[in-house]
Amino acid sequence: MSVSGFAGWLRDTLLRLAPHATATGLRAVGRPGPDSPVVLTGNYTLTVRRLVEALAGRDAWLLVADSRGINVWCAAGGGHLTHHDVIAVLRSSGVGERVRHRRLILPQLAATGIERRLVREATGWEPRWGPARLEDLPEFFDRHERPRKAQRAMRFPLWERLEMALMWAWPMALGAFLILTLAFGHRVATVGAGVIVLGVGAVFAGLPWLPVTGGRRWLMYGGLALVTLAAGGEGLLALGAARPAALAGLAATCALAAGILSLDLTGTTPWYPGTINSFRNHFDVELVEDRCTGAAECVQVCPREVLAMDGPRRKVVLARPGACIRCGACIVQCPEDALRFRFSDGRVVEPGTVRSTRVNLLGRRAVPLAAPPRTPS
Amino acid sequence: MSTYVYMKVLESAPERYDRGIHRLSGGTIASIYERVAERVAAPGRRVLDVGCGTGGVALACAARGARVVGIDVNPGMLSVARDKAARRLPAPDVDWIELGAMELEDRFAPGSFDAVTSCLAFSELSPDERRYVLRVALRLLHPGGSLVIADEVPPRRRAARVWRRVRRLPVVFMTWALTQTSTHPVGGLADAVRAAGFADVVEERLGRDDFAIVSGRRAAGAS
Repeated sequence: MSVSGFAGWLRDTLLRLAPHATATGLRAVGRPGPDSPVVLTGNYTLTVRRLVEALAGRDAWLLVADSRGINVWCAAGGGHLTHHDVIAVLRSSGVGERVRHRRLILPQLAATGIERRLVREATGWEPRWGPARLEDLPEFFDRHERPRKAQRAMRFPLWERLEMALMWAWPMALGAFLILTLAFGHRVATVGAGVIVLGVGAVFAGLPWLPVTGGRRWLMYGGLALVTLAAGGEGLLALGAARPAALAGLAATCALAAGILSLDLTGTTPWYPGTINSFRNHFDVELVEDRCTGAAECVQVCPREVLAMDGPRRKVVLARPGACIRCGACIVQCPEDALRFRFSDGRVVEPGTVRSTRVNLLGRRAVPLAAPPRTPS
Repeated sequence: MSTYVYMKVLESAPERYDRGIHRLSGGTIASIYERVAERVAAPGRRVLDVGCGTGGVALACAARGARVVGIDVNPGMLSVARDKAARRLPAPDVDWIELGAMELEDRFAPGSFDAVTSCLAFSELSPDERRYVLRVALRLLHPGGSLVIADEVPPRRRAARVWRRVRRLPVVFMTWALTQTSTHPVGGLADAVRAAGFADVVEERLGRDDFAIVSGRRAAGAS
């Protein structure tokens, strides 16, 4: 990695929680020609930089749509990267005059926001979903623009978990360091900031094995507070700074850090459902089987392999409902409106509402079920 | 899927948009909506408001009896606009349509409007998009019809530009924190309007030389 590449990585990683916009429009990767593929993404600096790196050595057109400086997944889920933005950049960038074909590769994780049909109808371009992770793009192109089934599923490797840990840890550690310095001096502050970094790092490193969803997550966060306190207490003893007031300050710091993480740690990952929307009232994706015609658009966009085709019956089935992260992509894409959200109190969010407001404030959008599901006539 | 910054906060931004823009504009935004409307709106005139947001300009035009179409890509904003229309006007003649500025040609025939307006929306577009929208706006206007764009612009003097940034920093930060609303100055607006083929282009500067109302006309003989 070059010095400027490292500086870019550091800036993008540390500021990952905040929008960070780069210029929209058409960019050339390598020396693309009229038959080179066109890959669309949002204008989140980190993603654009990684895409250019992933496509190094290849010739492609990169079409950067306006996602308000937010990564494609969060932007699509929040309604900030939709077919309107795709149509806008297709038309205003002049890409149609640079290439002979009309194939457009969309990021699969933008499926909550982008309705392919509306892009096709407005522009004549033929959008198709690329792989879930951009580093699979080279193989995707080698396979004539078809993802392997496994490449439709999201992965959350250790290096990315540690990047997420860094994103979470440094603001908390910095805040703790400043406050503890004022109250107890720099030695206590260094220990407090240090255990936050180690604790957050350990949680993200061990994420696949920890109970971060469901009621048992409270045990996990309580355990985290206690373990970091114990480690910090050892540190204070070693430094000879283990006064009662300093220990109490450290305990408050550890409890606060665990509390902040517990708000919605899972919601910042691409692997677990966020807990904010379902804090009091759980909801799931519901399949209205009568409406399903087996179009399988949902199977193509699900990043967690929740949905699968039951071939002989020509119906989709919820094969792994426990893995669902409730991103809503399947609901938006289903041409028959056969999927929707259902809350545990019986209220539902119908596909039309999800297409309009995406997954924003889902609880507020939920309405009582109006009529029994349609039956085949 | 990340939620704090991008959803739990931004999601309800449309409901806070009016408050944010009021704050950012130092309380002048309502008078700017009126200024735009008084240039284009009259009973029966067909007005298109591009990027109508929560309906500031569109409602000011409708209150003057114009037949208004307001387009925006954000359904949340349109929903706030509909509510405001129902509260403020007895029988507003406004169509609110979820549509992007780059999708206008799909919906409206050339010459469909007597006026096209846009307030604080051009600054949300890239230079490519501005050129595209201006070309389409010219086609959508009836010959003799007018275009009025109101937006933040960089002051002409360098010292004023620097001072503006410094002076606004706390306001911009607080406004974003409270309402997730922000605006950006757009440079070269009048030149872009001229380059798109509009005639009689006039730029009026307001505030501290940092806000402009740019107007132009589709020449009567233009095809």
